[in-house]
Amino acid sequence: MSAPAERTGVIHDIGYRRYAGARMSSAGIAGSLLASGVLAVFGFGRSGKAKILPFVLLGMTMVPAVVMVGIMSFIGLDAGLLNYASYNAGSSFLVVLFVAAQAPVLFSRDLRSGVISLYLARPLGASAFALIRWASLVLAILAFVLTPLLVLFIGGLSAGASFTEELPRVAWALAGAVVLALLVATVAALVSSWTLRRGLAIAGTIMVLLVGLGVTVALKETLFFEGMDTAAHWVSLLSPFALVDAVTAVLGGTDAQITSAPESVATGWLLVSTALALMAVGLLLLIRRYRSKGA
Amino acid sequence: MTVIQTRGLTKRYGSGAPPALADLTVDVADGVTGLVGANGAGKSTLIKLLLGLLAPTSGSGSVLGHDITAGGEAIRRAVGYMPEHDCLPPDMRCIDFVVHMGRVSGLPAAAARERAADVLRHVGLAEERYRLMGGYSTGMKQRAKLAQALVHDPQLVLLDEPTNGLDPAARDDMLALVQRIGHDFGIPVLVTSHLLGELERVSDHVIVLDAGRLLRSEETQAFLADTGVVLVEVIGAADAQQRMGEALAARGLVSRPRGSLIEIDPVTLPDDADGEAATRAHDQLRDVVRDTAADLGVGLVRVQAQTGRLEDVFREEVPA
Ligand SMILES: Nc1ncnc2c1ncn2[C@@H]1O[C@H](COP(=O)(O)OP(=O)(O)O)[C@@H](O)[C@H]1O
Ligand SMILES: [Mg+2]
Repeated sequence: MSAPAERTGVIHDIGYRRYAGARMSSAGIAGSLLASGVLAVFGFGRSGKAKILPFVLLGMTMVPAVVMVGIMSFIGLDAGLLNYASYNAGSSFLVVLFVAAQAPVLFSRDLRSGVISLYLARPLGASAFALIRWASLVLAILAFVLTPLLVLFIGGLSAGASFTEELPRVAWALAGAVVLALLVATVAALVSSWTLRRGLAIAGTIMVLLVGLGVTVALKETLFFEGMDTAAHWVSLLSPFALVDAVTAVLGGTDAQITSAPESVATGWLLVSTALALMAVGLLLLIRRYRSKGA
Repeated sequence: MTVIQTRGLTKRYGSGAPPALADLTVDVADGVTGLVGANGAGKSTLIKLLLGLLAPTSGSGSVLGHDITAGGEAIRRAVGYMPEHDCLPPDMRCIDFVVHMGRVSGLPAAAARERAADVLRHVGLAEERYRLMGGYSTGMKQRAKLAQALVHDPQLVLLDEPTNGLDPAARDDMLALVQRIGHDFGIPVLVTSHLLGELERVSDHVIVLDAGRLLRSEETQAFLADTGVVLVEVIGAADAQQRMGEALAARGLVSRPRGSLIEIDPVTLPDDADGEAATRAHDQLRDVVRDTAADLGVGLVRVQAQTGRLEDVFREEVPA
């Protein structure tokens, strides 16, 4: 191979090799796309500086967990410090920043740069593609919110907390984190697949999630004050964070961190089911968005 | 071998809209097939129909033996596609991108890496493969787009306007590459262009679309054959061209001015005339031209046979 020839754009006369090896099934392709999507959220497979923001945010959300575990081990404070539910609520600002900044990587970027037309000309169809992108974001958010919870849990155990006491509490927090990831990913996916510019997508996601949380809290307080408790509980549906907080509180018996939780377990389950149904509607919209881009 | 077949394929984007593709029946075989037509002729629509991305309004088609309505996934596994518009994420290195596209086309990881390096060398991006594509020139972007269409070793490639936006030198390189894919790599190619003249050099077969309708589908040779038309350029007084034309008419030849040239129609030969008779008629025509010029006292700059060009298809068959 002679390097100077390449520089002038002359094509080398090296024989073309056919590929006769194995090819993956659709499931295999889906798996590989899912993995590359999760990695892309954390900046892998992209430019070097794309890794900075996600890891800085991840580092920031870990700090309280590390500090708490450290305090427990060195000063010997008791396990009451391990409040997983408050961790979820307390880190919601960082979660919003992370999702707002990174969802455009999976959604705006494909649609804006036109790569979508390449993906849709590949074996997976538009619907599968949209759902895999969404699932990548869900997994990335889970990695973001579960890592500090696990640090807290494992660190707490090694500092002497009781496994049997901690397990149900952390389990509820983990379940809450999963629902939170599902809902937040859907919101962010919708926002960033409609606003194709990264800046707009970031602002839009922050707006919907953070301002949504503020509005939800204010509305709920007002309604409670007016004595309209049932309406107040349903208002939780406006914000994934408020919803997960209220629902884990009533179902898991933890302390509600954001606003007071409903008292009836049935209301709790009804709220989660409704939220998941809304999520399904959101996913249908997302699929329609990708379908329309295909042609 | 037939790789693409359409039968009465029609696509309307809206029920009231005129068809973007109307009743198209063509067969595409191995080698390089040029799909030519002005902007809006329906070239991209045809490609999207063939990929199963659009549903036909009526008619049918098959690609590599798979039906375009029922076999979309099978088609998209076996075909490489280079869209006409931008489709490269600017924040990815070219090599990572091509490997990734290999993976989503069904290649295992190791094979995707190996083939990505291979095809990037073939398209001439070996040196620049570690750069972010956001910084690529148009020529490099087109090559990267071509590389991703080849990475999974497709059995057919559909290239939508690969020369769009390229300067003449880069266009020649791209066309040479297209020809290599069709002939040396042995991958059948369907390549589109809105520039009527550029594909005739590299394609074995040309399909001409006009406003969604099939104008012609022929071996390229048929387009390029000697048309029998003779082009003449004269110098002399300002009216030399006009006088020459009148004198030719007086000798029973049909001619018309074409820019600074005079275009003379061939003498009609009897149906049973053989090639030799045609050559003789041609030589006689040239002799007549020379004599006419000498009689008029105008200078003859050149007399040349005109070979067919794709533009002529439009001149002949589309009412102005
Ligand atoms: N998505 C679409 N919706 C409506 N009309 C379309 C769409 N895509 C193409 N068209 C119309 O169909 C015709 C053919 O377009 P196209 O296939 O893109 O032509 P070409 O690729 O030859 O330039 C044009 O009149 C164009 O305006
Ligand atoms: Mg087009």
